Amino acid sequence: MNPRHQPTLVALLAALALLAGPTANTHAQTRVSVGVTETIETHNPYGDSVSLLYGIWSEITGPFCTYSYSKGDFEGRLAERWKVENPTTWIFSLSKNYKFNDGSPVTAADVVHSIMTRVIKDPQSKQKASVAPSIVNVEAIDKFTVRVITDKPTAPLLSLLCDRLIVTSKAAFDKYGREAADKEHMMGGGPYRLKELIPGQRLVIAKRPDHPVAKKNPRAPDEVVYRVMRETEQRVTALLNDEVQIAQFIPPHLRQRVEKSPNLKITPVDSVEIMFLAMQPKPPFDKKEVRQAVCHAINRDQIVATLLEGFASRLDGPLGPGQYGYDPNLKPKMNYDPERAKKLLAQAGYPNGVDVELQTPVGRYTLDKQLTEAMIPMLNAAGFRARLLTPEWATLWASVQKGTIPFYYMGRGSVQDPSATLHQYFHTGETPRIGYSNPKLDELLDKEQQEFDPKKRRQYLSQAMSILTEDAPACFMWRHKLLWGLNNRVEYQPLPDARIYAIDMKVRR
Amino acid sequence: MPAYLIRRLAGTVPVLLLISLLVFLLIHAAPGDPTLMLLGEETNTAEVARAKERWGLDRPLHVQYFKFLVAAAGGDFGKSFKYAEPVIGVIKTRLPATIELAVFSIIIATLLAIPLGVWAGSKPNSWIDNLGTTCGLFGISMPSFWLAIMLILLLAGVLNILPTSGRSTYGIAGPERTGFYLFDSLLQRNWPAVWDMLTHVFMPALALGVNMLGILMRVTRSAVLEVMNEEYVVTARAKGLAEKNVVWRHVASNALIPVITVVGLELGTLLSGSIIVETVFAWPGSGSLLITALNARDYPLVTGVVMTYTMAFVAINLIIDGLYAVVDPRIRY
Amino acid sequence: MQSLTLESATERSGGRLARLVPRLHVKAFTGGAIVAIFILVGVLGPALAPHDPNKQQLTAMMRPPQGIGAIHALGTDNLGRDILSRVIHGSRVSLLVAFAVVFVSGFIGITLGAVSGYFGGKVDFTIQKLVEVVWAFPPLLLGITIMAFLGQGLFNLILALVAQRWIPYCRVVRAQTLSLRERDFIVAARCLGATKRQIILRHIIPNLIQTSLVIGTFAMASSIIAEASLSFLGVGVPPEIPTWGTMLADARIYISTAWWLPLFPGLCIFVTVLGINLLGDALRDLLDPRLKRTASGI
Repeated sequence: MNPRHQPTLVALLAALALLAGPTANTHAQTRVSVGVTETIETHNPYGDSVSLLYGIWSEITGPFCTYSYSKGDFEGRLAERWKVENPTTWIFSLSKNYKFNDGSPVTAADVVHSIMTRVIKDPQSKQKASVAPSIVNVEAIDKFTVRVITDKPTAPLLSLLCDRLIVTSKAAFDKYGREAADKEHMMGGGPYRLKELIPGQRLVIAKRPDHPVAKKNPRAPDEVVYRVMRETEQRVTALLNDEVQIAQFIPPHLRQRVEKSPNLKITPVDSVEIMFLAMQPKPPFDKKEVRQAVCHAINRDQIVATLLEGFASRLDGPLGPGQYGYDPNLKPKMNYDPERAKKLLAQAGYPNGVDVELQTPVGRYTLDKQLTEAMIPMLNAAGFRARLLTPEWATLWASVQKGTIPFYYMGRGSVQDPSATLHQYFHTGETPRIGYSNPKLDELLDKEQQEFDPKKRRQYLSQAMSILTEDAPACFMWRHKLLWGLNNRVEYQPLPDARIYAIDMKVRR
Repeated sequence: MPAYLIRRLAGTVPVLLLISLLVFLLIHAAPGDPTLMLLGEETNTAEVARAKERWGLDRPLHVQYFKFLVAAAGGDFGKSFKYAEPVIGVIKTRLPATIELAVFSIIIATLLAIPLGVWAGSKPNSWIDNLGTTCGLFGISMPSFWLAIMLILLLAGVLNILPTSGRSTYGIAGPERTGFYLFDSLLQRNWPAVWDMLTHVFMPALALGVNMLGILMRVTRSAVLEVMNEEYVVTARAKGLAEKNVVWRHVASNALIPVITVVGLELGTLLSGSIIVETVFAWPGSGSLLITALNARDYPLVTGVVMTYTMAFVAINLIIDGLYAVVDPRIRY
Repeated sequence: MQSLTLESATERSGGRLARLVPRLHVKAFTGGAIVAIFILVGVLGPALAPHDPNKQQLTAMMRPPQGIGAIHALGTDNLGRDILSRVIHGSRVSLLVAFAVVFVSGFIGITLGAVSGYFGGKVDFTIQKLVEVVWAFPPLLLGITIMAFLGQGLFNLILALVAQRWIPYCRVVRAQTLSLRERDFIVAARCLGATKRQIILRHIIPNLIQTSLVIGTFAMASSIIAEASLSFLGVGVPPEIPTWGTMLADARIYISTAWWLPLFPGLCIFVTVLGINLLGDALRDLLDPRLKRTASGI
């Protein structure tokens, strides 16, 4: 509500409204409000598996370790350092400086409890498949050392644990039971503590002044309020009214409204979510030429330039710059070539075209419906007879998981390390989402997962991705550049995976 | 009358049972898997099977329905898949917002429609009558979601005098006591919060209430027209009573009967209309909760909300019938 | 309308239509004109539309309205498609859905209502219980759930809308049947040996046509809004078929940047529904004043 526009008849109430306006400025404490798009639904730190919440809970409880995009490598935090004893055994050494809110130290017993009891065994946990898919046992060697045993060699283990493993107090769990421990006695070893959580509305964290990491970052805000704001208009308006100082994911067409304001700026960030068109190897997509024709038919540059206003970077292969294993020289390049597409279709036995149905969710990814609508005429120009279906997400996702959707537009997030994604979508037998099977690819994927030498691993990954791009069970489209709206009072560089660490924010007092 | 009420109440039980069966079947028949919706992108078959077992989704359908019925009879609608909280609790946090919205819609509709309708009906063929008729017609023809968008465009966008969406501005409201923002704010004498609430509820209430406004206008007007020519009105006029008295004392109270019917009938439409209006305005009520639950295939929550709505509907009908007996002494059950 | 009331209440006759005509004339004419235009546009759609409604021009996105006679009189949308053409084509869907829903639901409702009212007893009881159960559902919810089950499509949409809409017909027709049942000409027909079926078909149903006509007109209006609502929520027809509701849904994120995107499709819905309601009012005044209160709520 903008006090400037109050009708004069209600001037008195307007004055009152002004007095009760944003309170942040009058406090000695600094508070930053963030408008987020994910819903915050439960008090259980293991009850959600979205990037944002992994980040928040990690900040409250650690993080265990963290990935630094600037350095391109993992850094220790709660787990100070680690080593690989043998391909299926990792040893993590914990820092002695991390203390729970009641002063007790965070120990190996808490880590064991968190992984085994909370992540893996607890039926309410939604994180097992993403954090600990291959962990079979965790033991405390001594008070601050943990041994993690996996069932098969898992080279990318750090990408599963860092910024994702939430370490909560075993003692609190044992004493109060899970519900009470989460709701009333939430304790973590991180630089922020949980202050308030109202499911569906907001989550508030407050800085712990005597935490060593907090001491190193004096300009980090004293309090951060994460407010659920799923509607874009609401988020943008809140940013313009200074109700929030950071707003996630501003759609390109609203960015000018934000940029017009002298106190705000837009920061674009390459996301780690890869967008692609998946094709099941059933007719007509059982022929490689048809799949390649689809890739050549789409003018990705035009879509990015017009509909996305330039806020996306084209993908030539499953990965882009900044993602682990990215190879700028990856061949072949499936560039825009409708003539080639037509020839390929004819080669495959469809000189007069073929009917295809593309399915897309609506509102799940940036401009998903629009982008796919724009693809239809492009497919038609290349000789297909395409139509678009926009089923409900619940229906679509269930069918994709069952393997009954032959052709769909989808995104896969958290692709900072491609291993999990590539396995999930392209390894024989892992999931029925595409149903693609290529023994040569399987071999390479198995090798990369178990290869601890980074150089060799990159090689395997490059080879695997080369096969993938050429064989084209999926056409890789782009990565969106996500637009963050920031108030100039807050200096913050948003991360590609939508995780927010308040400790990295700097507030101008 | 008490005997009649008891009979009516007893009669609603089989209807509610049948409705619960229908809801149950429909939601389970819809394609989509709640376990997949909630376990995240990276889940695998084993996880899904585990979750299915925990939520009892692997049992045959009639077993699931039976378990649900038994629990529901005791007032337990189960736990929401999505929020991992009892369904009743989740609904309780969202229902006050919808009730607030509905109440304000009714207030706006009745405050505008009834006086205008009475006035229009009592002065046939005047400019007031024309205005009233036109308003009524516009009201029933207006698609509420379009009105909602246009209101946002005009009042929040161009003129910028009202907020675009939501129920409140963060930081203004005091601690929640009853869940009714207005009530709580009044109790705490938190005047900025009262104003905040009013600015937020105005557009959604108007959008939601516009159809009811139209119908009420028309019904009031025609009811007044009918009554105006009844004998007792003619008598009152012959007695020399002022026209104003005639209209308001005799005509209006008798015209109330059809008006009450309409309000009662329209309450049900209000509840379902709130689904769209809450979506457009990001209003955190049970309508948007229903949509969220449906999209997530959260079976217990969907069933809970639908049953709440239908029970409310049944209760409203009973109350309306009761009110009839009060307003019209000729009616006896 | 008011003269009609005076007449009926005080039982004066003669000159009824004459007094009625001034108001009726205006209503019927305006309403009729709007509906006629709507039907005409709907039928002639492809011939009238200046462009292909699905032709995208990514280089001409979001152009504001340029005025009558220009290439894009009402502007273009977020994919560069001509809005005027899309709006014209959208009327076809609304038209088709409205008529189909009204006829199908009318057929089902009238039949069930007549049967229910005439036969009474167990038949009546079952049908009425069905009515209660289905009617107690929040209408939009039933539509959404059915569409989730059936999937996108025009036929499915019609089905989903019919699911509850047969009930108003059923109710009114049943009430009228109940009162008609004991009328003299029916008793006479029975004495003469007419079968039940013959009685229903030849005597009862023709009497109900009038009522149904009025209900049907208002039902058409509400069907258009219902179809738009379901499309607005995304559970209507697939994207290749432009409908007013889908256009409104697509326009939601552009409210603050492109006012013409939500304005025109919504205006079409509003004006069309207004016209139908006007016509319905006029029809009702002409045919049966007793329906005043029941029909206006439908």
